[in-house]
Amino acid sequence: MQKKILMRVENLSKDYRMGEVTVNALCDASFDIYEGEFIVILGPSGSGKSTLLNIIGGMDLPTQGKVFLRDDEINKYNDRKLTAYRRDKVGFVFQFYNLMANLTAKENVELATEMCMEALNIDEVMEAVELGDRKDHFPSQLSGGEQQRVAIARAVAKNPLMLLCDEPTGALDYKTGLLILSLLHKINRQFNKTVVIITHNMAIGEMADRVIKMRSGRIVEIKENASPIPPERIEW
Amino acid sequence: MKKLDVRLLRMVNHSKGQFVSVTVIVAVALCIYILFSITTININNAVEQYYGETNINDIVIELMRVPQAAVDDLKSIDGISNVQGRVSVDVPLQVDDKNERVNIRIVSIPKNGGVINKLHTIKGNRSELGDDNVILLQQFANARNIEIDEVITPYINGRTHNLRVSGIAASSEYIYLMENEQSLLPALDKFGVAYVTEAFAQSVFGYRGSYNEVLIKLAEQKNIEDVIDIVEKKLDKYGLKRITKLEDQLSNNVLMQKIEGIEMMSSVLPVMFLMVAAIIISIMLSRIVNNDRMAIGVLKALGYSNYNILSHYTKYALAIGLAGSAAGITGGVLLSKPMSEVFVSYFNIPLSGIKVQYSYILNAIVLTSLFCIGSGLFGARGVIKIMPADSMRPEAPKSGKRIILERLTILWRRVSFSWKMVVRNIFRNKKRFSFLVLGLALAYGINVVPLYMMNTMVSMFELQYGEYQKMDYTINFARPLSEGKITDLSHLIKADRIEPRIEYPFELANGWRKNTVAIIGIPQETAFYKFVDKESNDVKLPDKGIFITEAIAKSLNVREGESIIVKSFLPGKKDVPLKVAGIVKQYLGANAYMNIEEMRTLLLERQMITGVSVASKDNLKEKLKDVKNITTISSVDDMKQSFVEYLDTMNLAIWMYMLFGGILGFALIYNATIISISERKMEFASLRIMGFEKKDIYSMLSKENLIMALIAIIVGVPLGAGMINGMADSFSSEMITFPVIFSPRFFIQAAAATIIFAIIAQLAALRRIYNLNFIDALKSRIS
Repeated sequence: MQKKILMRVENLSKDYRMGEVTVNALCDASFDIYEGEFIVILGPSGSGKSTLLNIIGGMDLPTQGKVFLRDDEINKYNDRKLTAYRRDKVGFVFQFYNLMANLTAKENVELATEMCMEALNIDEVMEAVELGDRKDHFPSQLSGGEQQRVAIARAVAKNPLMLLCDEPTGALDYKTGLLILSLLHKINRQFNKTVVIITHNMAIGEMADRVIKMRSGRIVEIKENASPIPPERIEW
Repeated sequence: MKKLDVRLLRMVNHSKGQFVSVTVIVAVALCIYILFSITTININNAVEQYYGETNINDIVIELMRVPQAAVDDLKSIDGISNVQGRVSVDVPLQVDDKNERVNIRIVSIPKNGGVINKLHTIKGNRSELGDDNVILLQQFANARNIEIDEVITPYINGRTHNLRVSGIAASSEYIYLMENEQSLLPALDKFGVAYVTEAFAQSVFGYRGSYNEVLIKLAEQKNIEDVIDIVEKKLDKYGLKRITKLEDQLSNNVLMQKIEGIEMMSSVLPVMFLMVAAIIISIMLSRIVNNDRMAIGVLKALGYSNYNILSHYTKYALAIGLAGSAAGITGGVLLSKPMSEVFVSYFNIPLSGIKVQYSYILNAIVLTSLFCIGSGLFGARGVIKIMPADSMRPEAPKSGKRIILERLTILWRRVSFSWKMVVRNIFRNKKRFSFLVLGLALAYGINVVPLYMMNTMVSMFELQYGEYQKMDYTINFARPLSEGKITDLSHLIKADRIEPRIEYPFELANGWRKNTVAIIGIPQETAFYKFVDKESNDVKLPDKGIFITEAIAKSLNVREGESIIVKSFLPGKKDVPLKVAGIVKQYLGANAYMNIEEMRTLLLERQMITGVSVASKDNLKEKLKDVKNITTISSVDDMKQSFVEYLDTMNLAIWMYMLFGGILGFALIYNATIISISERKMEFASLRIMGFEKKDIYSMLSKENLIMALIAIIVGVPLGAGMINGMADSFSSEMITFPVIFSPRFFIQAAAATIIFAIIAQLAALRRIYNLNFIDALKSRIS
C-alpha cells in the first residue's frame, strides 16, 4: 500500500540569538512524515530535536527551509493561520505536562476542546486514558503519570491529525513511562493518529515505525523499523 | 462557562488581597463620582426649582429714594416682565447679651406678598402681617432659637420697636445668608432678615410713597445688559447706588461657587484614583503574564490566539472595574440621597426634588471599563511577544548589568550587600519603579492639598487681619456723616487710634468690562492698612490714582499704570477716569482703595465719611450700642471666632482627603510588595537556603519600599505644589483669593502621613513572606 505523506520537511534550519551569540539549533533537516505513522526522533539534549518538533507544530518559525502539511506550506502562514493550525491539526504533549494549575483534569481537557469544531467526547477520552474517576481533581492532586495522561487526553480530545510529544516520559519513572508509551501506542493504532515522539531514550526507538536520529542540529540517520516491538516489552 | 473564564475566576480568588485592594480604589473613585455628580445635579435642580417657585429677581437696584410712580414706570420698558419696589434697611437688633451686636435687615413686602422674591412660608401665617409683627428669616430664627409669637426688638431711628414674630419663612434671595461682601463667613446668629409690611417700613424709615430698592424680573435673560442701560438712565436722578445682577448677588454667587467646588471634586478626584488604579492594574497584569509565561505558551500551543489570551487577562482588569463599579455605584447611589439632603438643608433650600440620576451610572461604568481595559491591555501586552516554543524553556536570566551608581566606586564599596541588592533591584525595573513612584507621588499630593487648605485658611486670616488690616473694629454709619464726628466718637470710647473711612460702591469699567466694587477711602498715612504688591513688596497709597486688588485687576483686565473709568451711582456725578496706581493683594473681599481726600474731591463730597476704623481694647459694641447712626460694628475678634467655628466644620473634609490619599498609598505599596514577593520567589528561596532569615528578606523589601516612598515624596513635592496651585486657582473667586503659600510644615506632615500608610501596607504584606515555602518555590516551574 502506498503510504500517504502527511508532512514534508525540506532543508529546515533554525538559528537562535542568545544574547550576543548565535546558536545553530537546526541545520538542513529534510524528511517526510506519513499518515498514521509512529515516529521517534532520537538524540541527546541540544541535538535540535525540540526545535524541529516546535517548528513542525507551528510553535516556532524556521530561519530557512519549508514545512508542508500535505500541500500547504505552513512556514508561510501568518499568525492567525498558524494559530488555527495549532488548534485543529496538532496536539502537543510536554515533558512537564504543563497543565493549568487552577483547572481540574476535565476542565484542562475542555480548555482545549472548546476551541475545536471536531472535538471528541471528553468523557470517552477520559475513560480511554483511564482517568474517568479522577477527572475532577486538580493537577496538584494527581501523580506525574496521571498528569501526563491528562495532557495526552487534552491533546487527543481535539481530534488532531497528529500528536507531537516532547519527552513525554522524561519526568516519569520507568513503570509509569511504559504506561504512557502504551497509551500513545494505543492512540496511534486504534485512532489511527500520527504520533511523533522526541526523546533521548534509545529504547523507545524500538517501538517506532521509523526512527530519526539527530546530533548537533543535523539528522544523522533515518531508520525504518521492519518489526517494531510493543511498548510493554521495551526495557531501559 | 468557558474554561478560560473559570481559570480567571480562580485566578481572582487566588489573588484576593490584591484584587480587593485595587477594587477598593476603583470603588472609592466611583463612589465619589456618583455621589458628587448626583449631589450637584440635585442641588442645582433644587435651587432652580426654588428660584422658579419664588420667582427670584433678575436684577436688584439700590437707590437713595425712588417714588412709587417711577418704579411703576419701569414696567413699560421692553424686556421687563415685572417690577417691585421695597424698602430695605439694616438696623441693630437688641438682644439679651449686652456685648453681642446683632444686625437685622428690615425688608418690606407688598400687601399681597408680592410677585418677585416671594417668601416660602415655613411656619405661621403671612396674612396676619401688620404694623406690630414680622416674618423672620428661617436661618436666623433657627440660629437664635426664635419661635413664633416671640418678640424681637429692632432699634430703628433711635427707637426700639417691639415686633412679634408671626411667621418664619425662607427666601431664595438668602439661601446663603451673609451680611455683605466683606463678611468672610456666614454668622447666622449675628445677622438676620425680617419682613414687614410696606406701610410699616415706609413709615419708620421715612420713605413715604417711595422705596430704596427695586427688584426687576426680565422676560428674557439675553436682554439683561440692554435693560440695565435703560434702567440706569431712567433711575439716575433718584440716587442710583448699585445695580446687581442675580449672578452677582451674594447668596447666589457663593452658592454657585460651592456647587462648582463639589462639581470639581466629582471629576478631579475620581480621575486621580482611576489613574492610580490603572497603574496598579497594569503592573499587576504584567507580573501575572510574566508568571504565566508557560501557561500562555500552552494556550498558544492549544490553538488559542493572541486575541483570546489577551482578552483573558484583560478580563481580569475588567473584573476589577466591574466589581469596583458595582461597589462604588451602590455606595454612591445610597449615599447620594442623604448627601443631597444634607447639602440642600445646609444651603437652606426648602424644596427638594431629590432624585438619583441614572445616566451618571452609565457614564461611570463606561469610564471605568475604558480605564480598566486600557490598563489591562497595557499590562498584558507582553502576551503577544511570547512565542509558544520559547515559553517552554525557562526564561533567560535578566541581563545583570552594572548600574550607574556602581561607577562611583568609592561610594559603592561602602554600601552593604543587602543594600546593594535593594538598589540593583530598583534599577533593574526602572519603568515599573517609576510608575509606582508616580502613583505614590500622586497619593502624597492628595495628602498635601488638605493640609494646604487648612494651613492656608489660617494664614489667610492672619495675614488679612494681622498684617494688611490691623484695626480692631470697623464701624459703619447709617448715613454719610462729617469728619467732625470722629471727635465725638473719641469722647465715647477709649481708643488708641481712630481713622476716618469711606466705603462706597462704584462701577469700575475698562472698555466693556465692568465690575461694581466698594472703593474704600483711607488717609494716606494710615496705620491700619498695609498694602503689598504681587511680589509682596510694601507699597504706599499714592496721592492720586487708585489701588485695586488682583481679583479686580483680573476681571477688568487692567495692568498697573493703565486707566479705568469710575462711574458713580450718585445723582449728578460724572464718570471719572483714574489711573491704576497699583495692584495689591487682598485675600478676603475685593475692594479698591484711594486716598480719602482724593476720593472725596473726585467722587463724593468734602468732609464726608461713612465710617471709622478703630484700634481699641475697649468693648465698643457695648459702649456704642445706644449711639445713633451706627449700623454695624464689626470686630476682628468676632470674625476670628466664626472663622474658628468654620474651620472645625472643615475638619471632616480634611480627614476624608487624608483617608483618600492613604487608601491610594496603601494599595500601591501593598500591591508592589505582593508583586515583588511572587516575582522573586526563586531569588528569596535561594537567599533562604544560603542562610538569610525571613526578617532579612522582609527588611530588604522594606528598604526598597522606603526608597520608593522617599523618591515619591521628592517627586510629590512639585506635584503637590502644582495641585496647590490648581486648587488655589479654582477655589479663588472675586471674593476670596487663595494665596499660594508653600510652608514646609504641610509638606513634612504629608510625608509623615504617606510613610505611615506605607508602613501599614508593608505590615499587611508581611504574612506573605513568612508563609513563603522556599523549597516549593525552588521546584516550582508551573504557574
